[in-house]
Amino acid sequence: MKQESKKNRLPTPVKLLAGMLAAFTFSTVFAHHPIQGKFDPGADVQFSGIVTKVDWRSPHVHVFMNVREGSSMVNWAVELENPYILINNGWQEDSLQPGDAVSVAGIRARNGSRQVWGEQVSLTDTGRPVYTVNDTSPAKPLSPRPVPRWPEDNHPVLGAVPGGADGIWGYPTSKALVEDGVNVGMNEYGLLDNVADAAKVAPMQDWALARYIHRQERDLRDDPTYLDCKPPGGPRQYQSDLGLQLIEDKQNQRIFVLLGSGNRNYRIIHMDGRDPVGLVGGDDDNPLFYGRSVGRWEGDTLVVDTEGFNEGFWFTNGGLPHTDRLSMVEKFTRKDFDTLHYEVTIDDPGAYTRPWTASWDLSWVGGAELPFSLCQHNRQ
Amino acid sequence: MFLRIYQRIIKGLTIVLGLAMLAGTAHAQEGHPLKGSWIGEWSGNTALGDFVLVVMDWDGETVSGMINPGTDNLAIDSVDLDPSDWSVEIKAGDYTIDASIENLELPSRSLTGTWSSRNGRGDFEIVRQ
Repeated sequence: MKQESKKNRLPTPVKLLAGMLAAFTFSTVFAHHPIQGKFDPGADVQFSGIVTKVDWRSPHVHVFMNVREGSSMVNWAVELENPYILINNGWQEDSLQPGDAVSVAGIRARNGSRQVWGEQVSLTDTGRPVYTVNDTSPAKPLSPRPVPRWPEDNHPVLGAVPGGADGIWGYPTSKALVEDGVNVGMNEYGLLDNVADAAKVAPMQDWALARYIHRQERDLRDDPTYLDCKPPGGPRQYQSDLGLQLIEDKQNQRIFVLLGSGNRNYRIIHMDGRDPVGLVGGDDDNPLFYGRSVGRWEGDTLVVDTEGFNEGFWFTNGGLPHTDRLSMVEKFTRKDFDTLHYEVTIDDPGAYTRPWTASWDLSWVGGAELPFSLCQHNRQ
Repeated sequence: MFLRIYQRIIKGLTIVLGLAMLAGTAHAQEGHPLKGSWIGEWSGNTALGDFVLVVMDWDGETVSGMINPGTDNLAIDSVDLDPSDWSVEIKAGDYTIDASIENLELPSRSLTGTWSSRNGRGDFEIVRQ
C-alpha cells in the first residue's frame, strides 16, 4: 500500500534507491499456522500414492491421495502451507495434478485420522520436491542502509518509503513470547521443550502459571486464534510469520498496523494526543482485541501505550494468559532501513506479579505485499 | 397468600428472563477461569430454587461476585481457587459450594460439585455463559 500525500514524499534519489534495493531483496514472508494442536510432531509418517485432488484454498492447501495399505486402497489428506505462501515460492495449483505419483513425509494428525502435515512432498519417479517453501529472511546489505526519514519532521519512516517500493515487516527474530534474559527451550509455536520451565517464561501469578502449563500440556490445541480465528492482539501480531505493514497517516495523525492474513486485521495507533479510551462510555463498554493505542515520539523511537483489551484471545502463541487489566508499552525503533526493533513491556496485575519486557527484531521484506486469506474455524 | 404467590411468580420470571438473556453463545474468556456469568442448578435447594445464576469477577487479587443477582442477591463472601487441581470453594452467606472446574479451556467450561447449607445439601453444576 502506498501513501499518497505529496507533501510527505521523500526526495527522488531516496525513492530510486529504495526501489532498486527492494527489487534485490524481494522475497516472501511465509509461515506455518499453528499446526501443533492438530498434528503430533512425534508421529512421523511416510507413504507413497497417487494424487486424486488438489484443494487449493486458504488457509491451507490439501492434497488428497490414494495410498495402498495391504490389500486395500485408502485416502490420505496431506495438509500444506497457505496458497499465498506456495505461490510466492513459485508453485501453482497445477504443480501437482491428479494421477501424479508422489511420496510424502510428515507428521500425523493427533486424532488418528488419515491426515498428515506434509513436511516433504516429492515426485515418486524423480524424487523432485514439490510445494517447498524457503524459510530464510532476505539478505541484508553488508553496510546497513540509512533509516529513511520524513522531510517535514525528520522522524523515521516506519514503513515503505512514500512513493517508493512497497514492502512489509516480517521474519521476527523471536516467534514466541518470553521475558528478555530468560533462556528456555521453546519452538516457533511457543511450545516449551520442557514444561518444567514454564515458570521461567514470565512472572505469572499462580492461576496464570497453572493455566499456561495446562495449555502447554495440551500442545496449544485450544488456541482461539487457530480454533476460532480470533485476532492476534497484543505482542503476538509482531511475531507472525505472515508479516505486517506500518502505514503512517500523518494528515490524520494515526498509524495503521496492517496484519498479514487473518481476515485483514488492522490496528490503529492514534498520534493526536487523545486518551486511550473509547469514544462512548470508556473502555469498559467495549474492550478490544487490539486495545486502544496512543503513540508519541521519543527521539527516533515510537512509544505506544495501549490498554482496553478484552480476554477473548491469546496474546502469545504459547498460551501466556492475560486479563482485561493488561496494558502495554511498545517501543518501535527502525535501527536501519532493513531492521525494526520492537520492545514491549507487559503490565497486567491480573495475571502477572510484576511488569516484564520482551524484545526482538523484524526484517524489511522489500517488494512484498501482505498475504490475504480468510481464516476458517477449526473446531470439529 | 396471593402476595406470596405473586412474589414467587415475579421471582421466577426474573430468573427465566435472566437466564434467557445469558443463554446465547458462550463468549471465550481466556483470562481468569472463574470470571464471568455462570448458570445452572443447585439441586434440591428448597429455599432458593433449583436454578442458580452466579456472577464472578477477578481484580487481580480477589474473586468477588453475587449469587442470583436481582432476585436473591446473595453476595459471595470468599472464593478459594486451587490451581493445582482447579478445585474451588465458594462461601456465600450460609452456603458453601465445593466444586471443580471442568473443560477449563472451553468457552462453556463448567463448575461441578456440591452445595451445602443448614437447609440441606445437593449437587451443584453451573456452566459459564
